[in-house]
Amino acid sequence: MKLLIVEDQPKTGQYLRQGLSEAGFNTELVADGSTGQQLALSGDYALLILDVMLPGRDGWQILQAVRSAGLDTPVLFLTARDAVEDRVHGLELGADDYLVKPFAFSELLARVRSLLRRGSATPQETSLQLADLRLDLIRRRVERGGQRIDLTAKEFALLEMLLRRQGEVLPKSLIASQVWDMNFDSDTNVIEVAIRRLRLKIDDEFPNKLIHTVRGMGYVLEERPA
Amino acid sequence: MPRLSLSSRLALLFAACTAVVSLFAGVLFSRASEAHFVELDQQLLDSKLIGVRRALHDIQSRDSEVKLADELSPQADLSLRITGSDGRRWYDSSASLPDLLPQKPGLSTINDHGTDYRVLNAPLFDDKPDSPQLTLLLDITHHQHFLQRMQHLIWMTVGLSALATALLGAWAARSGLRPLRRMSTIASGVSAHSLNARLPEESMPSELAEMAHSFNEMLGRLDDAFQRLSAFSADIAHELRTPLSNLLTHTQVTLTRPRPIEDYREALHSNLEELQWMAQLVNDMLYLAKADHGLLMPKREALDLAAEADVLLEFFAPLAEDVRVTLSRVGSGHLEGDRSMLRRALSNLLDNALRFTPADGEVRVKIIDQPKGLSLTVENSGDGISKELLPRLFDRFYRVDPARHEGSSEHAGLGLAITQSIVRAHGGTIHCESENGWTRFVIELPKEV
Repeated sequence: MKLLIVEDQPKTGQYLRQGLSEAGFNTELVADGSTGQQLALSGDYALLILDVMLPGRDGWQILQAVRSAGLDTPVLFLTARDAVEDRVHGLELGADDYLVKPFAFSELLARVRSLLRRGSATPQETSLQLADLRLDLIRRRVERGGQRIDLTAKEFALLEMLLRRQGEVLPKSLIASQVWDMNFDSDTNVIEVAIRRLRLKIDDEFPNKLIHTVRGMGYVLEERPA
Repeated sequence: MPRLSLSSRLALLFAACTAVVSLFAGVLFSRASEAHFVELDQQLLDSKLIGVRRALHDIQSRDSEVKLADELSPQADLSLRITGSDGRRWYDSSASLPDLLPQKPGLSTINDHGTDYRVLNAPLFDDKPDSPQLTLLLDITHHQHFLQRMQHLIWMTVGLSALATALLGAWAARSGLRPLRRMSTIASGVSAHSLNARLPEESMPSELAEMAHSFNEMLGRLDDAFQRLSAFSADIAHELRTPLSNLLTHTQVTLTRPRPIEDYREALHSNLEELQWMAQLVNDMLYLAKADHGLLMPKREALDLAAEADVLLEFFAPLAEDVRVTLSRVGSGHLEGDRSMLRRALSNLLDNALRFTPADGEVRVKIIDQPKGLSLTVENSGDGISKELLPRLFDRFYRVDPARHEGSSEHAGLGLAITQSIVRAHGGTIHCESENGWTRFVIELPKEV
């Protein structure tokens, strides 16, 4: 899976590439718009990450060229400006997502994964599982080690999200947006509390913990060797 | 091209009005006097006609000519022409009579070589169709001269009175507009450093008092906004200084000597927390800046506020249970607004309320739907906030508890300011009241903006 990053600020570009590579993506970085456009038009990429302000051709021009060439490669925009017109403009031109600097890397990573997942049809699952934790999507039941666990509707939704994206670090903002449909930056610690309560039910009685806090970044559901 | 000044415009308008009025009066007067002259001439000519007819009654007698001369002689400006029914000229009382005279019967006026005549045509015998024609001519040159002189006089009056009123009007307008100039003098003296200047509203004429009032209010608002803005910039610097100095110190101390890898990780984590706090702060400030520039443009979607409130209460439920606070909602209402923005506004209020509600307390959301607008109240039980602090609650970076706590979940104090911006972007207002152990944030939203 190859990603193209077009970003002219060397530090930002380098860190993005390093982060995405370490997350398992094959990443290419170019610093100017013209080269970026050439590469983007080759169609070899699964996702384009474009900065708006670029030397040569700006991010919007690249996006326009890509779309008019008939390519539907997902495009994620990065911008330092958060003017409403910018956002509208980008979305009109066919951008798939939009991140305003400063953003957290964990947020970018989560969005990249969402965009990449969007195209591929996921098979209809009837249950999700990790270790001895099992979530039955049809009967809406959760069991761990054969033991039934009662969850509220939101706890169920939260656990479903964690299970579906197991191994991924999910930032709090993404959880708030996906589970509660709260699409704004909020410094409230509701998510912390919700995770703590879920842990109480899922993990507390069991020796191998599944929900982990990644400090400063979010939460991840995975089996870790004891 | 610059527009004419107000005084010049008024002066010109005055002048035009006077000119029109005096012109109208003059024309009326000149018409009336002309009509009067015509009437006098008619009377004179009619009486002379009777005399002439009588004198000509017995045309055979030689002394009828004498009689005719007697009839005409006292009136030096009167002449007579007698024309036969075949059109031949029979008699002219004076040699210098004009050749061509109007043929139509009755009174008319002609001009011949600089002499004006009033002419009366009448048959000598009323009852005979082929009677010879009598033409009486009255020299009215002096009348016409008089009328002409009067017309000149009228034009002169029109011109002079227009000029006079223009000058007087300019003076009147200038003195009438003096309060405006005073206003402008004060306005031109207003700068960022002297926003406290105010117009004397009492000494303004009634038409301008309202404007002066608005002007003063505008200055007041500017002053207020400016004060807040200056404080805001200072606050930004202050707010950023603490995390920045933490970052600097911590990074430098960590780098001073080799350490176990765990220490580096710890340092990075600590830095990350500071950085996230700063990023949140910057994003919040950008949001507020956008609101200040009128760039917060709420979408207009039909919202069921009861449902929205319930969604938020569900979101906050774990937190509330954690601190043993009861959440509830009463009332319902519908409104057109931006879902995401209003959720954010309400979420800030709920977060704030939960923060200040003691254990076993209560947080209630009340929605009152009125025909004109909608009021949305978030109230919490607790100690309340003292009255003096209420107006300051919405100020940026304002915290009821001034001591800043350490930790990443610390609020920058922008939540209520953001809520206020969102409410304002929806054309609404927000205020806070605190009494009898309840603190209440009341949002009033109009149904139509």
